[in-house]
Amino acid sequence: MPVLCKAGCGKNAMLKRPKTGDALCKECFFWAFETEIHFTITKGELFKKGDSVAVAASGGKDSTVLAHVLKTLNQRYDYGLNLMLLSIDEGITGYRDDSLETVKQNRDDYEMPLKILSYKELYGWTMDEIVAQIGRKNNCTFCGVFRRQALDRGAAMLNVKCIATGHNADDIAETVLMNILRGDIARLKRCTAICTGSEGTIPRVKPLKYTYEKEIVMYAHYKKLVYFSTECVFAPNAYRGHARALLKDMEKIRPTCIMDIIYSGETMAVKEEISLPSQRLCIRCNFVSSQEVCKACVLLEGLNKGLPKLGIGKSSKAKKMLEEYNAKQKSSLEEAIKDINDECKKNNCVSKGKVCRSSYKSNQSHTAQVNEESHSKMDTCCNGQCSEKLNTENETNLKVQVLLKEYGLSESELNGQTSDKLTESCDKAQTLEMDDDDFEIDTHSTGKELIEDDDSCGGACGNIDSLHIGF
Amino acid sequence: MICRKCNSPGTLIIRKEYCYCDECFIFMINHKFRACLGKNKTLSANEKILICLSGDACSTVLLDLVYNAISLNNHKKLRVVPYVLYIIETVADNEKISNSIIEQCKSYGFPLTITNINEYNKNFFSNKEETESQNSYNSKSILSNVTSSIHRDVMMKIKQNIFLKISKELDCNTVFTAETTTSLATKLLSNIVIGRGSQIENDIGFADKRDRDTRILRPLRDITNEEIEHYIQIKEIKPAKAMHNKLNETSLQSVIKNFVMDLQENYPATISTICKTADKIGSITNNINKKKCVVCQSNLDNNDLNLTAVDATVFSRKVSLRQSGESKYNEDSQNIEENNLMFPFIYQSLCYCCSRNMSELGNNKIKQ
Ligand SMILES: [Zn+2]
Ligand SMILES: [Zn+2]
Ligand SMILES: [Zn+2]
Repeated sequence: MPVLCKAGCGKNAMLKRPKTGDALCKECFFWAFETEIHFTITKGELFKKGDSVAVAASGGKDSTVLAHVLKTLNQRYDYGLNLMLLSIDEGITGYRDDSLETVKQNRDDYEMPLKILSYKELYGWTMDEIVAQIGRKNNCTFCGVFRRQALDRGAAMLNVKCIATGHNADDIAETVLMNILRGDIARLKRCTAICTGSEGTIPRVKPLKYTYEKEIVMYAHYKKLVYFSTECVFAPNAYRGHARALLKDMEKIRPTCIMDIIYSGETMAVKEEISLPSQRLCIRCNFVSSQEVCKACVLLEGLNKGLPKLGIGKSSKAKKMLEEYNAKQKSSLEEAIKDINDECKKNNCVSKGKVCRSSYKSNQSHTAQVNEESHSKMDTCCNGQCSEKLNTENETNLKVQVLLKEYGLSESELNGQTSDKLTESCDKAQTLEMDDDDFEIDTHSTGKELIEDDDSCGGACGNIDSLHIGF
Repeated sequence: MICRKCNSPGTLIIRKEYCYCDECFIFMINHKFRACLGKNKTLSANEKILICLSGDACSTVLLDLVYNAISLNNHKKLRVVPYVLYIIETVADNEKISNSIIEQCKSYGFPLTITNINEYNKNFFSNKEETESQNSYNSKSILSNVTSSIHRDVMMKIKQNIFLKISKELDCNTVFTAETTTSLATKLLSNIVIGRGSQIENDIGFADKRDRDTRILRPLRDITNEEIEHYIQIKEIKPAKAMHNKLNETSLQSVIKNFVMDLQENYPATISTICKTADKIGSITNNINKKKCVVCQSNLDNNDLNLTAVDATVFSRKVSLRQSGESKYNEDSQNIEENNLMFPFIYQSLCYCCSRNMSELGNNKIKQ
């Protein structure tokens, strides 16, 4: 029996909004979805008239929807923004090719200028060249650290007022939980801010802060937007993995918990007595850093000096290594390099096999099944070894179909499939989704070496995780 | 297996790592308890304290620890005068539990007060909304249709108010609860997830100072459930109620509880990390806003933030109803009426979460 659209437009409802449970027709859903983002932008004062804004574009669903909606709203409400797309090309043969194609599609569809910046342009090295230098094992650190800064450097080159990223409400709620688990108070406070950026840096804003991931998927689907799904063979780090699993379980019980978590984050304060690591500018490159010299510069220094493993471990270690290097340089350069590299092997988390090998204890045997979208943003962890598929292909649409089964009201419109067939494929999707919910990964570890007691991994994996830059 | 304190043969291992003999373990737990009270230096000599029991293992151990500490004959002696409170919550088994608690208190020589939760919640609800109809519902019928997530939160707040009320009747300025590291970690995550993040300091920290006269202290906050279980085994203490194991209901709190139990099993250090966070988190409106939530006594958040999840949630509902016109919405149309439906009395007399609870309770009332 058809349900009428709750907005009172007279049409039949087409879907139930995941966020509010209201039954709406397609048009009214689009309107609600876009108007909410408009509300966030205006009430949050994210932009000023005449601003140049770089949309961080990965080709994934969040950044694609963000670009589409910003373009729409910019026209509808006359924001007067100068929008452009900014993509980063790590320079890994075969990896970005497809997603960059998607971004180029976005450029044409939304008539926005696109700037693709390569690591080569930004740092003088491509990831391929770095891998050739240091081997596959440690490239994760390089890719992560470089990516963390790439957007800032890129935005500076484009001379924009701010960077808009596609972080959605689920991402933010998940990050709140993750920072609680690792006891990272500084990030806990920062991660719910709609606008981040310290002095001297280009601010980042999150217009999708209050937008549910499920609604983004549905919006992209009904609008037939072309985006790119990434399946990363690497797990999120253990803390994020736990946080995500917890959030998914809770969202099923009480969808509003995502907003409630964000509210908690917004109203919490770090007590004054607690001193947080201060942020400063790197004396070399002038980008934000917690150290005198930022990690990217340390890594670059290492590459350029022929000490590629410099800086993979802790930063105090790097300094020591550099000192040792300078001291020993006179006597025996080769020996020094060998020593340092050996020591590095012993000491960094990567070579101990903890980074990127997260698994969740209940499900170690599962192969990689990370939620495709969570890794499609520019600054999530994925060191470039992801297999990707265009969302136009059938199988990556499973997630959409699961959503439609749960929230869609009239199924007739769906791609002309008969409803029998649809139900069947949805059932299949449901099963897959179940796997996906547990989403535990793991390609190589034996499972024991997860988060050990201490924060041992918290420190080391921090490298990986701080890829979630805004956080 | 050698005890890490005295090198005699060990009898138990905590966190899969630290080995103790019975004697050293019991000593250590008693020490942890006194140290927790000692380092916070909050008790004055011969202070009356109200120990709030649920009857489970943790609260039974708390009784034992208090008894041990006041029985000492040296400078470490805890100089307090204990009273005990037990609140009957469920119909099932309550006679058995009450009797067992009566026995325990008798053997320790602590005076005991028993009260039934149902006597309180009528008042609890009539406080907030001056509607006649609500007085006629006892909490059971009001709460029966509410999701268990809300139910649990409301019950916890009711109990807290009873603690304070009884403590005043007994002239106690201090309340002890038996919350452990494990249960506090669960509570912290629950707080975050239902929008009580800014109340963590008082809800999870060592001392809850929201009431002007009475402090609620948590002297077991450095002791884990794992340690509690060893303790009752060694001392052969029989708790009145079995330790709650994994819950089968579907509430946020049960999901979190199961999650925390998994963490405790596999990554015990994460539990204390979570717990320690409570000491570092405050509220952005602390000390500025003197208005308090009438239900949970927390400082009310100010309505002066540019944009919060409250605004976004209210706006979501509004656009779903297309209330704000076809293609334009009016910024000022964020009217009070709408606010009152979704967040009744928010910023006025209820905090975010209590207001959300109220709105759910209200909705159910309408359905009936
Ligand atoms: Zn409609
Ligand atoms: Zn011993
Ligand atoms: Zn309250």
